[in-house]
Amino acid sequence: MALNVSTLKAEPNLYTPEMAALTEVVPQTELETLFKFELQSGNPLGHEPGQFVQVSCLGIGEAPISVSSMPCPEPTFDLCVRNVGNVTAALHNMTAGDAVGIRGPFGHGFPIDALKGKDLLFVAGGIGLVPVRSLIQMVLANRDEYAAVTILYGFKTPGEMLFRDEIAQWQEREDVDLRLTVDKPHSDWDGHVGVITTLFPELEIQPDRTKAIVVGPPIMYRFVLQECKLKGIGDDDIILSLERRMRCGVGKCGHCQINNKYVCQDGPVFTYNDIKFMWEAI
Amino acid sequence: MTLRAIDYQAVLALIQSLMQEAKVVAPHQREGERQWSFEEVTEPANVCLEYTSTVLPPKKYAFPTQERFLRYELGESPKAEPIIEAEPLVLFGVHTCDIYALNCLDIAMTDEHVDPNWVARRKQMRIVGVDCLPDEYCFCASMGTATVHEGYDLFLTPVDGGYVVEVATEAGEEMLTNIPTKEATSAQVAQVKAHLNKKMQQEHKLDCDVSTLPLHFSGVADSELWEQHAERCYSCGTCNLVCPTCICYDVLEQLNLALDGGERVRVWDSCMLEEFATVATGENFREERSQRLRHRFFRKYSYLFTRYGQPYCCGCGRCVRQCLVHIDPVPILNDVIAESQKGATVRGA
Ligand SMILES: Cc1cc2nc3c(=O)[nH]c(=O)nc-3n(C[C@H](O)[C@H](O)[C@H](O)COP(=O)(O)OP(=O)(O)OC[C@H]3O[C@@H](n4cnc5c(N)ncnc54)[C@H](O)[C@@H]3O)c2cc1C
Ligand code: SF4
Ligand code: SF4
Ligand code: FES
Repeated sequence: MALNVSTLKAEPNLYTPEMAALTEVVPQTELETLFKFELQSGNPLGHEPGQFVQVSCLGIGEAPISVSSMPCPEPTFDLCVRNVGNVTAALHNMTAGDAVGIRGPFGHGFPIDALKGKDLLFVAGGIGLVPVRSLIQMVLANRDEYAAVTILYGFKTPGEMLFRDEIAQWQEREDVDLRLTVDKPHSDWDGHVGVITTLFPELEIQPDRTKAIVVGPPIMYRFVLQECKLKGIGDDDIILSLERRMRCGVGKCGHCQINNKYVCQDGPVFTYNDIKFMWEAI
Repeated sequence: MTLRAIDYQAVLALIQSLMQEAKVVAPHQREGERQWSFEEVTEPANVCLEYTSTVLPPKKYAFPTQERFLRYELGESPKAEPIIEAEPLVLFGVHTCDIYALNCLDIAMTDEHVDPNWVARRKQMRIVGVDCLPDEYCFCASMGTATVHEGYDLFLTPVDGGYVVEVATEAGEEMLTNIPTKEATSAQVAQVKAHLNKKMQQEHKLDCDVSTLPLHFSGVADSELWEQHAERCYSCGTCNLVCPTCICYDVLEQLNLALDGGERVRVWDSCMLEEFATVATGENFREERSQRLRHRFFRKYSYLFTRYGQPYCCGCGRCVRQCLVHIDPVPILNDVIAESQKGATVRGA
């Protein structure tokens, strides 16, 4: 036979989730909720910032969700989920003590080593802050390993702002330049108004030592990429995370394919350089 | 490689003896029709070894159209366990294109992550190939799949008085243990070569060497050819569903009636269907039919070709045979080649 099975590493549980208990539900916005989980195995999830897990609500289905907390030695992790369909609604109906299935972590996360010692410019739009939060937490916990840290976070209305308490802490830090913006004027908002690109002109960026981490909806990428280019940031130094429909998470089902890449395997994190000639990417 | 000669009666005896130890599946002709399908053999004489192509490929035995792969219990402490169902199986009478396709999927199913269900089935599978002659839709000669060099245990080529059988593996050798075979004569060996020569005569062919196909795809993403060819397409997905090298699947949840447990099932899916790349926010990354047709072709002849080093099309012609409007890969590929050569001259000028 052609298939030399003796040399293959068996993965009998490739599609079998391990169980995790929901330990805490932290409401965020009308649509999004932060869920804290603990793996029943007692082992840490072992993820890198930017990786995702496949979350099973048994009987309902499975959905890819970014891990939103930084890596830690405990078996705990955070997912922040927007309620849009079957699985995400089922999650929103759960209470502490309920169990979900977890597969993964899968994919390639942010290139931590390449970020070390650099100025970091985080640009997050809406729910794009969810995967980026994991990286921001890790950077802030090891703050001396990085140079300047700038965080731009934009959302449509003040009510859509995620992780309020945590952002208040970031705001207080002197070693973080945090800038928030809402798309349109709003009675509950006295901060900056305008889409996220309107924050760029004021930024002082040293392109040769900056890495930009850009995560948001497809429409945001087009405009933010342009701004990054205007600031002289290199294509290799712009890092983004893409979202596609996924079924398997492990490069088999074909759903997440963008040109010749599988988002679940080769991504979800890519450099702009990786994807700039991929007409299906953005 | 050992070549033996085997007559028709001995082939029947071979099938019979294989049936004693395993499930044997082979092509059967549908009554009164020029259509064949792989079915379990109950009577060796009903096996039809002279056929052009089956509607569904034998892939269905390694990757069932619907496959349950996870069983779970709900309730206080929910749990899930894998379902891996495999049994000893002989695929009897498989053409070179379909053997090639299974070899292709071996690579895709085990690259980076090893699909446990695929491997379990393939491990218990033995294959007896049989050679064929092309119909007007086959283009295996162009795809380099008119012959295969691995992925089978025995391979039969029709000659006067029966078949020449190539014994490719030890398992193949064992299958023949109690079956009367003879030394293949030089005349019979010559007939094997002549058969292949005849098989290679195909009008339906590519205008380039298959190894250069990915290169031709490099400049045609924006070509109008995709829209032209997609104009007639219904986006029905049949082409994917009959394709031996397609691998995409969807996942469904099947709760049991008591609602206290259930199974997760994977089913063949199709990138030509509108919702294939739709995400939960409603965004569809391949909204246009032409984008989906383009994706199907890029995937087979460029993306996976480049990723795994061989085309993910075996030239079996099933997609065009079953397509209501006869959308045929060959003219599309030849347009790609022409377009890329045109581009090359313009750039060179
Ligand atoms: C790498 C990655 C990371 C992600 N991270 C996060 C995250 O951190 N937080 C988060 O909230 N989300 C995240 N997402 C998005 C999340 O995966 C989706 O929102 C989720 O899969 C939706 O699943 P669901 O079962 O709730 O919705 P579904 O019930 O599957 O679908 C919701 C909607 O999607 C469309 N749809 C679904 N299936 C079909 C179909 N077969 N045909 C047509 N339309 C269909 C429909 O419009 C439907 O109403 C991520 C996605 C990826 C790929
Ligand atoms: S079978 Fe034909 S009509 Fe249907 S999706 Fe394929 S090419 Fe289009
Ligand atoms: S694309 Fe068509 S010719 Fe090629 S392997 Fe699939 S069904 Fe056969
Ligand atoms: S999610 Fe299945 S291939 Fe990426």
